[in-house]
Amino acid sequence: MTGAQTAGVPSREADSLAASAVKALQAEGRNQEARDRYAELVARHQRRAGRIAFHYMRDAAEADEAVQDAFVKAYSHLSTFREELPFEVWFTRILINGCLDRIKARTRRERWLVSMPESSPAQPDFAERMASGGPSPEAQLLARERRQQVAAALAKLPERQRSVFMLSHYEGCTSREVSALTGLNESTVRVHLFRAIRKLRTLLGTDAAHQGLAGEKRRVNP
Amino acid sequence: MPHIRDLLERNAVSILSRLGANRHLDDDALLEIWAAATSTTDPHLTSCAHCRARFASIDTWLDDIGTDARAESEEAISPERLAAQQAQIFRRLEALERPARIITFPKFTRARGEQRRVVPRWVPTAAAAGLVIGLATGQLFNLTDMLNAPRPATNSGQVADNVPRPSGQPSSNPSVDEAIFYGDADLTARSAQFLSTLDELTPRARDDDRPR
Repeated sequence: MTGAQTAGVPSREADSLAASAVKALQAEGRNQEARDRYAELVARHQRRAGRIAFHYMRDAAEADEAVQDAFVKAYSHLSTFREELPFEVWFTRILINGCLDRIKARTRRERWLVSMPESSPAQPDFAERMASGGPSPEAQLLARERRQQVAAALAKLPERQRSVFMLSHYEGCTSREVSALTGLNESTVRVHLFRAIRKLRTLLGTDAAHQGLAGEKRRVNP
Repeated sequence: MPHIRDLLERNAVSILSRLGANRHLDDDALLEIWAAATSTTDPHLTSCAHCRARFASIDTWLDDIGTDARAESEEAISPERLAAQQAQIFRRLEALERPARIITFPKFTRARGEQRRVVPRWVPTAAAAGLVIGLATGQLFNLTDMLNAPRPATNSGQVADNVPRPSGQPSSNPSVDEAIFYGDADLTARSAQFLSTLDELTPRARDDDRPR
């Protein structure tokens, strides 16, 4: 993989058609049918929305609530949706704004609360793991530690850099798509992405960072 | 002369190309290429194996981070969770369209009739009517006049004189007043005479102070 790749974006035409149909049905007061049609959009975008929300919130329950809120908000404000903008972009903006609001609220809350030790999810017992041929406990532990380190490093990034990195790297959006989602210029998106990666390398202090040749700080102009 | 110039040019190109071959892209340059997704078109990267290898290591590192993050999020989003989430979304959408429910104020366990005394409507009406009738009757009979009217003569005059009269009213019998006034004056004179006699009989303090 080289850089940001294009994601498997669901059919935009189908989204637009469904969104327009829901809007029309809502206007006619045929709410049951509108909801049925909206279910198509929910089914199409739910998993991706869940992933994005999870990257932001780092908590499954909170991500769940953020996704629910975003879908409910999108449905109730569908009358303001403009067809020239892809539904995916409009909806993802709602979702990201909701996630950022929740993070702010959580930060305010945590200022006054003593944080509890993070509970680890229920692990299958050793015999089950060996029988299923899954990764060894050491590998699992290492993977979990690595995830935690990456998450902690990501949390230290400025909000825009984090958003750009997650959308372009985790979700595979192109610079243009990230630009549409975040409202930033394409060139600004690339700059944010570059800075995000550079900072992540510094924060994580990975082997890759050390693999760079010590004395090679020269730049060749292509 | 052109031959010499050609030789010099060839030498210069050779030196520059060797210098170029020793130069490598730094980390920031590699990250820029990654961010811009121009690794296939970058002239140096296509020609320099060393930089390509370093770029590949950066790419692998970033791929690992992405794969880890995606795997983690996929683990968190199970199909059951998605189904429950979808159901919850549609419950909320249905609730949006229903009119808001009015929650009644909690009632007491006792029945209303028992705890609250009902006052019939005629009670205040009757009270008002009674007041009006009372006032009208009062005006009609003029109670003050009745009180001030002369009383019929009684058998015992002494008893009649003991009845208290309203203050400020002039006495109806002037001879009685004179008798009281002059009677008091006579009494005063007589008591003074009696007191002076008593005074003559009583020894005085100055008599005791006289030398014997």
